[in-house]
Amino acid sequence: MSNTLRKEINTGAEEHDGETENNVKKPKKPKKRLFSQKQKDMASGYLFISPFYLLFAVFGVFPILFSFYLAFFRWDGLGEMEFVGLNNFNIIFNDPLFWKSLYNTIIIGLMGTAPQLIAALLLAFALNSVLIKYKSVFRLAVFLPYVTSIVAVAIIFSVIFSNQESGLVNSFLGVFGIDPITWTRSEWGAKVAISAMIFWRWVGYNTIIYLAGMQAIPNDLYEAAKIDGATLRQQIWHITIPMLKPFIIFTVFTATIGALQIFAEPHIFQGRGGRPEGISIVLYLYREAFGSNFFGTASATAIVLFFIIIVFSAANLLLVNRIGRSGKVGEK
Amino acid sequence: MMKKSSMLTVLTAMAFLTAACGGNEANNEEAQADGGNNNANVDNEDADVTDLGAEDAEVELSFWLFGATGYPELAEEYIEENPEVSITFQEIDMEDHHNNLFTALSAGSGAPDMAAIEVSEIDGYKNAEDRFVNLYDLGAEDVEDDFLDWAWEVGSNVEGDFQFGLPTDIGPTVMFYRADIFEEAGLPSEPEEVEELLQTWEDFEEAGDTVLEETGTPMTGNPETLFNAKRDQAPEHYFNEEDELILDSTPYVEEAFMDTSALIEQGHVDNYGMWTPEWGGAMDDGGYATLLAPAWMQGVVKDNAPDQENWRVASMPEGGGNWGGSYITIPDQSEHPEEAFAFMEWLLAPEQQQKAFENMGLFPSAPEVYEMETFTEFSDDYFGGQNTAEVFAESALENEHVHKGPQYGDVNTEILDGLDNVYDGADPEEEWEDVLTRVEQRTSR
Repeated sequence: MSNTLRKEINTGAEEHDGETENNVKKPKKPKKRLFSQKQKDMASGYLFISPFYLLFAVFGVFPILFSFYLAFFRWDGLGEMEFVGLNNFNIIFNDPLFWKSLYNTIIIGLMGTAPQLIAALLLAFALNSVLIKYKSVFRLAVFLPYVTSIVAVAIIFSVIFSNQESGLVNSFLGVFGIDPITWTRSEWGAKVAISAMIFWRWVGYNTIIYLAGMQAIPNDLYEAAKIDGATLRQQIWHITIPMLKPFIIFTVFTATIGALQIFAEPHIFQGRGGRPEGISIVLYLYREAFGSNFFGTASATAIVLFFIIIVFSAANLLLVNRIGRSGKVGEK
Repeated sequence: MMKKSSMLTVLTAMAFLTAACGGNEANNEEAQADGGNNNANVDNEDADVTDLGAEDAEVELSFWLFGATGYPELAEEYIEENPEVSITFQEIDMEDHHNNLFTALSAGSGAPDMAAIEVSEIDGYKNAEDRFVNLYDLGAEDVEDDFLDWAWEVGSNVEGDFQFGLPTDIGPTVMFYRADIFEEAGLPSEPEEVEELLQTWEDFEEAGDTVLEETGTPMTGNPETLFNAKRDQAPEHYFNEEDELILDSTPYVEEAFMDTSALIEQGHVDNYGMWTPEWGGAMDDGGYATLLAPAWMQGVVKDNAPDQENWRVASMPEGGGNWGGSYITIPDQSEHPEEAFAFMEWLLAPEQQQKAFENMGLFPSAPEVYEMETFTEFSDDYFGGQNTAEVFAESALENEHVHKGPQYGDVNTEILDGLDNVYDGADPEEEWEDVLTRVEQRTSR
């Protein structure tokens, strides 16, 4: 976003420059000034955009760079920093819990986001169809979970997914004769519960984005397809999804990054700051830094996470880019 | 080609940005979530700032603290007597308080003249003597005898020549129990009788058998409280004074782990997670017969079971320990350490501690208060008119100091996770080995 903004400002400034230059050239005054008008315009342009960049430098760039620096030191936050080379990376790569947290993050990410994006697409299609009444009520209702705090969600879901036999989900399963599940401490129980929280909180957000995309699709396309005898399924597959491609790319991209940063859900749901069944990579990082004051290994984890996010996002982008390319007939 | 490379730039930038934003949000919410978890008297409000004294006072002190202490109201008297001093109190929730303090100390600027540190956090600061004023340099030895020995030692370094803080309140542990459940099981239910009955952990187990058989209720609510109680009776815990891990070389913690596991396997321990709504609800509807907990837990019990008339207090079998409490320290950034210490000395003198106990229920770290009428004449209607203060005081007087070390909390978490696994069916011996492996992994950095 900041990139496009900067581009606009730059082009604006350039046009302006051209005008003033012309104006100055016509009278041809020989008097030399300290700064030419062009330089002044440039300076004021940079001044205008500087507040963001200054703040970003202090609160964004510096911590990021410092984190890279810290990854090569042993530091408890208060004492002396001790250079240890690549030892922090060595420590985390040899920690089974680190690999477990990476595995959990990927599994929970898949369980929480893949079904959610599909559900969001279907929900958006339903909300966009002419058949539904009270559309704005449904749109609001579907979006509401997004505005709740993650902590509140985690606490409410802890009650729903309670380990006790009397918990909501457990007593529901009891109706079908299924034994109560230890949601917070079992390998799959914890993952299901955490994925359910992510699903519930984000499905509305993605629905609204898809809905916005769908409303931009001209109705003519559907009408033409109907005349040609296309079924509803064919309409979705050949019109809606290809036309939604930029929106799908956006949601997949943000959902991937979001999924790799799961933190509050396992942290609160499992109690005592998380357990191996649900620990995510960010929670691992957090425990290193703020639980144990091992800022070196925490920074090393952050760097590893940074590269993982790039790899995953790039891979997703490539995959999603192929949407609509196959199976399309008659298009160049 | 061009497109691809610019795409990658955008991608990288977005990864950075979202990483940064995500981190912040998570942090805040985490703080909110933990706010209620660590102490009974925690307020989840934003910073509460109170200014006392004249604006043009010669000495301006700042004091960061957390929880409901009532200190600003108490300090009004001090300001009246010492008009040259003004004090700014900043009260926020416990998690934020410690984060702010840690950051200010780490950065080397922004710390107050006085800062409270919770007892479970204080060992994390002891490697940084240079960030604090040694209270012995300000005359702390003159007030040392006012405080309980063990409480004083928690605030000292291992050698005992550097005093980080003065103890404010403490959390002596006792056994809260449900008289109605004991009665239903055919056991005596008056506090004196129960203390007589449950002198050792064997007695506890026997009574547990009876309670379980007669009423079907487990003796206690979760492994955590039981393990804490047993561990706190050990002369050594997780680390020795050189901060070397001693779980393997000393028998005490393993014994506490095995004993707790045995009681779990016999069905005497339920597993209501601490601070969960179910745990609180069970206080009211009798989900467990005893709650092994510190004095300040009475506030939590009263909040969760306001109409319950059957809770009573007895001393812990084989003696209590300490859970909770705080220390007031002076960061070395302070420009007025002498004046700050003078105020702390006054604030934590027995007379003021007695008022803090009466006003806010802060349990005094100065044993002189236990002799005062406030204590000897104390009675609590919620606990059937019992003099609970004396039971807590007895526990406080018996306690002894044990070295904890900066990674204490990490080790504790792994042990408690292990006990949860035992509750879920793991074999205690194997689980103990796993705990040792995990602890080793987590502390060797």
